[in-house]
Amino acid sequence: RRGIPGAQFVEDVQTYLTQLGLDVNSALAFLQERLQQYKVVEMKLLAQQRELQAKIPDIEKCLEVVATLQAKKGTGEELIADFEVSEGIYSRASIEETDSVCLWLGANVMLEYSLEEASALLQKNLDNARASLEVLVADLLFLRDQTTITQVTIARVYNWDVHQRRTQQVAATTIAQE
Amino acid sequence: MQQGGGSETEVTWEDQQNINKFGRLNNRLHELHDEIKIAKSFPEKHRLPPLKPPIPTASPLQTTPPYPPPVRHIPAAQREANDNLEDASNELILTDEEVVRFQIGEVFAHVPKDEVESRIEQMQEATSQKLEKLEEEKKSVVAQMSELKKILYGKFGESINLEED
Repeated sequence: RRGIPGAQFVEDVQTYLTQLGLDVNSALAFLQERLQQYKVVEMKLLAQQRELQAKIPDIEKCLEVVATLQAKKGTGEELIADFEVSEGIYSRASIEETDSVCLWLGANVMLEYSLEEASALLQKNLDNARASLEVLVADLLFLRDQTTITQVTIARVYNWDVHQRRTQQVAATTIAQE
Repeated sequence: MQQGGGSETEVTWEDQQNINKFGRLNNRLHELHDEIKIAKSFPEKHRLPPLKPPIPTASPLQTTPPYPPPVRHIPAAQREANDNLEDASNELILTDEEVVRFQIGEVFAHVPKDEVESRIEQMQEATSQKLEKLEEEKKSVVAQMSELKKILYGKFGESINLEED
C-alpha cells in the first residue's frame, strides 16, 4: 500500500520459519530490518504531516483577509491596517475599496485575482491540503499497525526460540539421566 | 513490548488486531492531549496596543482621538487561547477607544469596537465547541483503551505490557 510493505501475520511460528526457510537468527534479523524500514517511512510521513499542518492555518488566515476585504467592499470605507515592517516596527496602511487582490503562488510568482476568484482559489487549496492530510493520516495508521505486527512477530519468534532451547535442554538432560 | 519468558501462548489474528487497535488508540490519545493543549492556547487575535506616539498631523486617517500612551503590552509569551480571548474581551471593556486594532492574518486592521466584540465572541464559541468535542473524544478513547487492556491482560497476563513507559 503506497510503497509500504505489508507485514505478514504469523499464525504459527514453526510454520512461518519453515516457510521462510530461515533459521531463527536470520528470521529475527530480517524482521528487525523490516522494522527499521518502517521507522524510516514513518519519519518521512510525520514530516509531511507537520508541513501540511502548518500550511492549513496559513491558508485559513489568507481566506479571512480576503473575506474581510469583500465585506468592506459594500461600505465605501477604507480599511486601515497596521502591518509589520520589521521586528517591532509597524507601519500604517490605508487600503481603499478594491476588487482584486494579489496572491503569492510561490516560486517568486504573484498573480492578481478578483476577490471572488481569490476566495475560490484559496478555498480549493485549503480543501486539497485537508484531503492530503487525511490520506497521510490513514497511511500513518496503516504503517503503525504494520510496525506493531512486526514487533509482536519478533517477540513471538524469540519466545519460540527460547522455548525450543528449553525443551531441547530438558530432553538432553533427560536422555543423559537414563 | 515486553518479551515473555518463552511462554507458549498463541497469538491469534484477533489478538493481533486488538493489540494494533490499542496501539492506535494510544497514539490518538497523545495527539488529542496535544490538540487540547493547543485549543486551550490558541494564540492570535488579540488587540495590539499602540506602539508609537500619535501622529501629530491632521491627516484624514486620524479619525480616532490620539492614542493613550502605550499601555498594557500584551507579552508574546502569553498564549493561553480561550484565556487569550478572555483577556482580549476584558481589555475591550476597559478601553475607551472607539477603534481597536484587530489582528487579521498578518496585519492589524482598524476595526470598530462593536465588531471586535462580536468577532471575539464568535471565536470563543468556536473554540469552546472544539474543545468540548476533543474532550469527548478523549473520554471515549480512554474507555476503549481500558476495555482492550482488560481483554489483552486477560489472555496474555504477564507476557504483555500495555503501560506507558
